[in-house]
Amino acid sequence: MKTSPILETVNLTKVFPGVIALDDVSLKLFPGEVLGLVGENGAGKSTLMKLIGGVYTPSKGQIFYQGEETHFRTPKDALDAGISIVYQELNLIPHLSVAENIFINRLPRRSGFVDWRKLYADTRRILEGSGMEGIDPRAIVADLPIGVKQSVEIAKALSYDARIILFDEPTSSLTGPEIENLFAVIRRLQERGIGIIYVSHHLDEIFEITDRIHILRDGKTVAVMPTAEADEETVVSRMVGRDIQNIYYKGEHTPAEVALEASGISDHFLKVVNFKVRRSEVVGIYGLLGSGRTELLKALIGARPIKGGEVKLNGRKVRFKHPHDAIKNGVIYSSEDRKGENLFFGNPIWKNITYLAIQVGRFVKSGFTQVKEERAAASEYAKRLNVKAPSIDVDVYNLSGGNQQKVCLAKALINDPDVILLDEPTRGIDVGAKLEIYRLIADLAEQGKAVVFVSSELPEIIGCTDRVYTMSEGRVTAELLGDDINEENVLKYCLEIGAAEGATS
Amino acid sequence: MKLNKSLFSSSEFIVLLGLLAIGAFFAFTSPVFLTKFNLLNILLQSSIQGIIAIGMTFVILTAGIDLSVGSVVALSGVIMALMLHAGVPVWLVILINLVFGVAIGVFHGFSITKIGMAPFIVTLATMAMARGLTMVLSDGKTIFDFPASFEFFGAGTIGPISVAVIIFLLYAFLAEVLLRSTVLGRNIYAVGSNPKAAALSGIRTQWILYFVYIVSGISCAIAGLVLTGRLGAAMPTAATGYELDAIAAVIIGGASLMGGKGTIVGTIIGVLLIGVINNGMNLLNVPPFWQSFLKGAVIFLAVMIDSLKNRQVEV
Repeated sequence: MKTSPILETVNLTKVFPGVIALDDVSLKLFPGEVLGLVGENGAGKSTLMKLIGGVYTPSKGQIFYQGEETHFRTPKDALDAGISIVYQELNLIPHLSVAENIFINRLPRRSGFVDWRKLYADTRRILEGSGMEGIDPRAIVADLPIGVKQSVEIAKALSYDARIILFDEPTSSLTGPEIENLFAVIRRLQERGIGIIYVSHHLDEIFEITDRIHILRDGKTVAVMPTAEADEETVVSRMVGRDIQNIYYKGEHTPAEVALEASGISDHFLKVVNFKVRRSEVVGIYGLLGSGRTELLKALIGARPIKGGEVKLNGRKVRFKHPHDAIKNGVIYSSEDRKGENLFFGNPIWKNITYLAIQVGRFVKSGFTQVKEERAAASEYAKRLNVKAPSIDVDVYNLSGGNQQKVCLAKALINDPDVILLDEPTRGIDVGAKLEIYRLIADLAEQGKAVVFVSSELPEIIGCTDRVYTMSEGRVTAELLGDDINEENVLKYCLEIGAAEGATS
Repeated sequence: MKLNKSLFSSSEFIVLLGLLAIGAFFAFTSPVFLTKFNLLNILLQSSIQGIIAIGMTFVILTAGIDLSVGSVVALSGVIMALMLHAGVPVWLVILINLVFGVAIGVFHGFSITKIGMAPFIVTLATMAMARGLTMVLSDGKTIFDFPASFEFFGAGTIGPISVAVIIFLLYAFLAEVLLRSTVLGRNIYAVGSNPKAAALSGIRTQWILYFVYIVSGISCAIAGLVLTGRLGAAMPTAATGYELDAIAAVIIGGASLMGGKGTIVGTIIGVLLIGVINNGMNLLNVPPFWQSFLKGAVIFLAVMIDSLKNRQVEV
């Protein structure tokens, strides 16, 4: 396979006013190769992609494409030459058909009218050539599932005779089976000799799909290695710039008495769910999107009305009618949807951190908020959770995903709750912040807290929890302990549909 | 340093500059404008609008709207007038009037939170119903002749200052303190900023919505009391179109119709801006048709400046 590279950057540098975004990066991409590009936020991945894709022009250095030096001035130049970028957010027009989206701007014409027959035939040929023959060229894009939409985006790239496709976090909104589909398509492209650069925060994907890994830190190349010779610890260590022995971390704690327990709770979606979490324990819940994980947690805190079953807190029956009741009793839920359900954009960090606390009368004297105390506490928690911001007066809107997540956690923890329900606390944040959150979860369990950790990432669930529930279609399909918590089991049970409730204890 | 920066870039400050600029213009063009009598007059004329706009601020902070305020003010006036003529003592009339304001708010709160109706529609319906009831109860006629102790709230003075102005400023002060320094106030902003996050943070969002519509209802009742007292008459067509001036004042003052943003101080500056324009144009004998146009243009400009300033923040 090692022929000459289809793409090569030599000492590529991009300087923005006041910051060197990319510093002397030399990268090679061979035909038929999948190159993983990894690094923390701000490491220079996007800048590099944009330089290759013609969005930016380099400050220094060269780009060689198919052996010749190129100077793309616009994304269109790069696209016409055969370099496409598939972005995280899809750029499709929802009300048009698949075929129209693929050939938009270039619809085949015959005497002034659109030649629909040719359009559909061309589209079909592209789809079939890349393992996407299941997609109907006439289907309206808005009606397609997100995974299929992404395939359309890839087909669009291929319609330009792409020789190189850059994928920027392509799986951020895909479910498990959709990711598998994407990988199948990528492998087909690979066979056709197309060079692929794959950017992702998800290291498991990097290890599954790439041939080589190119690691960036602070705009510089810190390592390039064949995937087969790499392991997760090495890659993460290079990304964050210090030695990481264990990415996932269980800490030292022994589960004690049951803190929160649900027996047979149900509503129109949840089907007789049994669930418990002990003090000094980290319980994982794994399931695909729509499996009922979020619904379960919301039912536990009273944000969804429960039809049947009961909830016990420290052995006493409780009936939370509103999240307020749960918070008062030391049960706190932190939503996965930071923007939509957790943070108040437009408000400063300190107010976000104390919103929950003032509901139960902390930092309040006869109805009046004690701003000085509030700010002091918020400042302390922001520091404790390592929120990186110039001051606690910064609008949370302006923080990175990782720092927003830390604000969410500070908000949840400031009340010193006994039971902490964390819904996807690591979604969309970079690996440095993830490591901090894994440590924090272990610390909480050590302090005697009952922690529930919902995640869509298998390695986290396997590596950070003491006990795992798998969920599917509103049911708990299995409860796994000790050595039973492994990839094979978790995947098997989370895909199990309508499994017997007997699997739970 | 930082405080100064946020102060000078705030919406309130920019509108205040606009108010001063327009004031300066009228001061140069009309010899009467800057007299003590005229300035107190502007404050008096703004007080009824101001009381209504304070209630509107609460509602708009939660991303709601209350179109019924003008009609409710008129209805409150007619109800009080009829009770006074029936011989009900003044203190009881005022109390029942406030209860009436609360009832309007509860009706709106119930329709919005429990039935799930849109605030715009509910209050549009109330606007028509209240105006209709006003006509029915008054038989379309103006009602006169009230006890002096009743008219005191609109027409009386304490020293050189009208009672109406005192009520307005006191009410504004209470509202500002409530919004700025209490948990309830913080929760109103939270519900407007992100209702889902508010509920999951333990805020009982439905109670908050009830509360803001009740505040708006009470504001109308107080405005009805002051207006009826000042005019010495309850007119079925009173306060027509006040809802639009109130909404304009709140938005000029820097609030967002999307909720979560706005202050009482801003609203008051907005009310005064509209009051100054009305007053100045009268002093300059601007024809009424042009007055309406110019007022609209100023509202447009004020909101445009704020939108341009905030544009980069939006996605």
